Amino acid sequence: MLAVAWIIPVLPFLAFWLIIFFGRRLPGEGAYVAIGAMGIDALLSIAILAQAVGGATYQANMVWAVLGDRALEIGYQIDPLTAVMLIVVTVVGSLIFIYSIGYMHGDPRYPRFFAYMSLFAASMLTLVLANNLLLLYVGWEGVGLCSYLLIGFWFERPSAARAAIKAFVTTRIGDTFMFIGILLIFFTVGTLQFDQIFEAVEAGHLAGVTLTLAALLLFGGAVGKSAQVPLHVWLPDAMEGPTPVSALIHAATMVAAGVYLVARTYLLFFGSPDHGALTVVAWIGGITALMAATIGIVQDDIKRVMAYSTISQLGYMMMGLGVLGFTAGVFHLMTHAFFKALLFLAAGSVIHAMHTNDMKEMGGLGRVMPWTYGTMLVGALALSGVPPFAGFWSKDEILLEAFHHNPPLFWVGLVGAFITAFYVFRMIFLTFSGPLRSHHAHPHESPAVMTVPLVALAVFSGLIGFVGAPWWGNPFHHFVEFEAAESVPFDLNLALLSTAVALAGIFTAAVVYYWKWLSSASLRRAARPLYALLVHKYYWDELYAFAVVTPTLWIARRLRVFDLYVIDGAVNAVGIVFVWLARLYRLFDLYVVDGLVNLIGWVTGKVGGVLRYVQTGSPQNYLLVIAFGVIVLVIGGILR
Amino acid sequence: MLPTASDLWSIGPELWLAGLGLLVLLVDLFTAPGRKVAAGAIAVGGLLLTLIPASAMLAWDPRTAFFGSYAVDGFAVFFKILTVIATALVILAAMDSLRSRFEGEFYALLVFTALGLVLMAGSADLILLALSIEFVSLTSYVLAGFLKANPKSNEAGIKYFLFGAAASAVMFFGFSIVYGLAGSTNLYDIAVRLRTAPQPALYLSVALMLAGFGFKISMVPFHQWTPDVYEGAPTPVAAFLSVASKAAGFAALVRMLLVAIDPARVDWVLLLSILAAVTMTLGNLLALPQRNIKRMLAYSSISHAGFILIGVAAFRGDFGTPGLLIYLLGYTFTQLGAFFVAVLVGAQLRSDDIPDYAGLSRRAPVSAFLMAVFMLSLTGLPPTAVFIGKFYVLGAAIETGLLWLAVVGIINSVISLYYYVGVIRAMYVMPATSETPIPEPPALQVALGIAGLGTLIIGLYPQPIIDLAKNATLLLRL
Amino acid sequence: MADYLPIFVHLTFVAALVVLLLTLHTLLGGSHPLPGKSEPYESGVWPIGSARERVPIRYYLIAMLFLLFDIEAIFMYPWAVVARTLGVFGLVEMLTFIGVLGIGFLYAWRRRALEWQ
Repeated sequence: MLAVAWIIPVLPFLAFWLIIFFGRRLPGEGAYVAIGAMGIDALLSIAILAQAVGGATYQANMVWAVLGDRALEIGYQIDPLTAVMLIVVTVVGSLIFIYSIGYMHGDPRYPRFFAYMSLFAASMLTLVLANNLLLLYVGWEGVGLCSYLLIGFWFERPSAARAAIKAFVTTRIGDTFMFIGILLIFFTVGTLQFDQIFEAVEAGHLAGVTLTLAALLLFGGAVGKSAQVPLHVWLPDAMEGPTPVSALIHAATMVAAGVYLVARTYLLFFGSPDHGALTVVAWIGGITALMAATIGIVQDDIKRVMAYSTISQLGYMMMGLGVLGFTAGVFHLMTHAFFKALLFLAAGSVIHAMHTNDMKEMGGLGRVMPWTYGTMLVGALALSGVPPFAGFWSKDEILLEAFHHNPPLFWVGLVGAFITAFYVFRMIFLTFSGPLRSHHAHPHESPAVMTVPLVALAVFSGLIGFVGAPWWGNPFHHFVEFEAAESVPFDLNLALLSTAVALAGIFTAAVVYYWKWLSSASLRRAARPLYALLVHKYYWDELYAFAVVTPTLWIARRLRVFDLYVIDGAVNAVGIVFVWLARLYRLFDLYVVDGLVNLIGWVTGKVGGVLRYVQTGSPQNYLLVIAFGVIVLVIGGILR
Repeated sequence: MLPTASDLWSIGPELWLAGLGLLVLLVDLFTAPGRKVAAGAIAVGGLLLTLIPASAMLAWDPRTAFFGSYAVDGFAVFFKILTVIATALVILAAMDSLRSRFEGEFYALLVFTALGLVLMAGSADLILLALSIEFVSLTSYVLAGFLKANPKSNEAGIKYFLFGAAASAVMFFGFSIVYGLAGSTNLYDIAVRLRTAPQPALYLSVALMLAGFGFKISMVPFHQWTPDVYEGAPTPVAAFLSVASKAAGFAALVRMLLVAIDPARVDWVLLLSILAAVTMTLGNLLALPQRNIKRMLAYSSISHAGFILIGVAAFRGDFGTPGLLIYLLGYTFTQLGAFFVAVLVGAQLRSDDIPDYAGLSRRAPVSAFLMAVFMLSLTGLPPTAVFIGKFYVLGAAIETGLLWLAVVGIINSVISLYYYVGVIRAMYVMPATSETPIPEPPALQVALGIAGLGTLIIGLYPQPIIDLAKNATLLLRL
Repeated sequence: MADYLPIFVHLTFVAALVVLLLTLHTLLGGSHPLPGKSEPYESGVWPIGSARERVPIRYYLIAMLFLLFDIEAIFMYPWAVVARTLGVFGLVEMLTFIGVLGIGFLYAWRRRALEWQ
């Protein structure tokens, strides 16, 4: 079974081409083909997981290109981390594909949507299965491309087109660092195979500052892809895409690829002197977790709340990895994939019913949409970290590791947990309780093709956490583990504390938004500067517009002017200067000397005139630049 | 001392090309105006036949012909193949859009230019090199000004001529200094004799020669003709100049520097790396505000010249020269493809403005998809041909200790993304002004398809190309 | 750099000489500007009309073709001198050369470059 694992990414890839070429002529207008491919993948993944739990691993390679005396190999591997990721991608993916039948119904580019989604799945699975940085990078760019295509899926909306470009460019900044990191590793170690890189780290060939640098450069890619501060700005805008896209790509799988990258190359981070790289990861994660959670409080767009929540939870995963909690981070990745996909799809169901994203228009939907309400409540409880739902187990482990390895971050995480519970229940109360605030909406429960996946995901979100529960000996820990960093045993006091914090957050949300003992408007007035800061998302976009976009455009414009006018102008200026000099001389010799000086003045004037004459048209200018160029080259070469 | 039969065998492809050019000219003379395409078809067929003797030469031991003045080694053969493929593709692309009384001359001129480019890549003698460069330049001037009734094309021809004449003059001055120092025009003799030559004079000659080569490869500060000429020249010619002409320029430059100048221990690495950095940065930044696709591609080709120069600067490593060759080959397919789409749109919409590409994804889906591939390849995203090239040259820079140059290169890749994606955005995101499908003529589609396949295949499975490039570099220095 | 001293000396002398001659010319020559002096030279006769007249392109074409074939014909002289030494190989080479030239001639002919109308 493991030897045919390569077929997993191939199936959706074939589905992509089939749908692109045959589109509406396929069964279900292409949807069934995509779902079929994903379904088979899910079954294969379960089989692989079963074998991996039994302790089986597998690796296969082929030579892709030979560089000098070094061979670049590509191949795939199966280990516990891969097996878990496969399950996440294929199971969550299949459910979202099914849900999309209902959500995308009637869209003019319906087959195209499933084609892109299949291509995404193929890229993501390639990324997960890769046993080397090269293939991983290919998948990495592939998911980036699909993300771009899918955010801009409704490209008629200018905001969607803009968001697509923003996402692509922002993540590319991170990818650039990652690419440099890959090159650095390749030229230091001579291979891109994970196991050989790890051997080099253990043997000390890749160590010290180089190792830290390589790890941090790779982390740069993860920061972009996983929307960590300071490259998080693209993810909220990415919500312009269809909701299933947000659920699959921008919550459950692709954005977790950054976390996966850090987990996959964990030894690089772990092996850096004093775990230096890990500390950076932890702090970036912690800051992101807290910052995004606070922004989530003030959002009125239901999907943007989810987006900031995703950024925040990704921050938790990074923090977990950073505080030596390898298992905790990966565990949270898995649970988060299920409950966040659930939350997004439920939000999509709400949007489907209301035709708006604005929570101020909603209210009282709990009565008309019981299935959506119930499942979303499960997701919200899981996200808040209330036992026994999935999020509790994983978030508790992250906090536990932080408490033991990095106490300041523990408090950051705890405050974040409170705010998380607050904003998610704010969303629940605004959406499902109270009266319906919009007058022209006619909400209705979504069709079964949408609610069934919701229920399935709700079951996962409720139960999946138990694979990490202490009273069965915490099986997840023994499956996905990083041997050098022993995980901390379960601590009942901390678990109680984190539960209490989550409940306190929910209670506070209820005080403001359910019982309305405190009006939100008065709170807003009381903390006006803070509110402004949050509404403007800490001014990140403004900062980038000011510090990056404006100067780049400015330089580009200036350079064009430079090429067209300045060189021309400079030469003209030389001419003018010569003429002026000539005049000056003329004035000079009127009063001081005649004869020779008069001659010099005349000669310079002529030179200036000739130079100016030469500069009347642009080809002449070009020829002059050749001369300048050669002179500069000669002088530069000799003075060197 | 007479040339032997083996000398003649060694220039088989060149003889064949010369004969082909004459044949095309004759066919043109004796066909009726409406049926000049026949000349184009013969040219394409003949060019493809050239590949047979050329690829047979891959297996040969490196040798020189005609008393050491012409090199037949892997390096030269690589450029023979590249030039011939590029020329055939350009003719294919031009066949549908070019309808004029002078069509046949166009094909003949292209074949003759190809001959000149092949000679440039193989010249191992200053005089032969100078002659072949002039040969190429003269035919190129005519090609650039080929649209006699179009003032912009005339302007392109004249500007190209003026600039080219000046650059050649400067370069030949450099040649004369080299000859003065070495007392020989043969590159291999020069390599031996320059070892004792005074360094400042050598710098002077290198700087002067760089003007000429820099003109051919559009290196800053000898780049200014590029946008004007590309914009004015017929689009297939612009494609040809940006690819084949540039490649041959690099071939001559590399042979000159590595064979003749390098043994003299002149350190031009820093000079070339600075030029590479400046070229790619300036080209990129100037491409940003362009709205005309041909001007944009012109500036982007300047920037790519900068990237390829990294390969020259990093020649000491294992990856420098192979990287340069791989980059050039990948870039050939990609850039040609991009220009071919511009040919299509230009011929059908009478516009070269990027905003007019709006909605191309629905009006000409195949071409739009390929254009997107080409744009991504030019950016250097995997799995495309230019990615492999960039990977190699940047790796070469890192390997030879030019880390800063690699960083500059990567930053430039990111900048370039902005304007390349702009094209994709226009095609896929912007609303179309009209929904009428754009006809995609057959010959152009074949050319586009080959360019697209080349771009993707090199990107997906580069090993054969890497082997070819390696074969080409191992034989470079006789 | 000492090797380059003669060159610098040479350059200095050249520049100085130019300046000197021009200075002497200006000082000693005197200047009597007349409008007629800046007209094109027409053997002492006042010119009629502008010198920048348009000449029919055919003159140019014929002149070019003449020059071309004239120069190419000169190549046959050195060959003729050593024709016996070069033997058959040389003969074939020269015939090829003439053949290529012939095609060029044919081209000019068919394109009606040789006809006045």
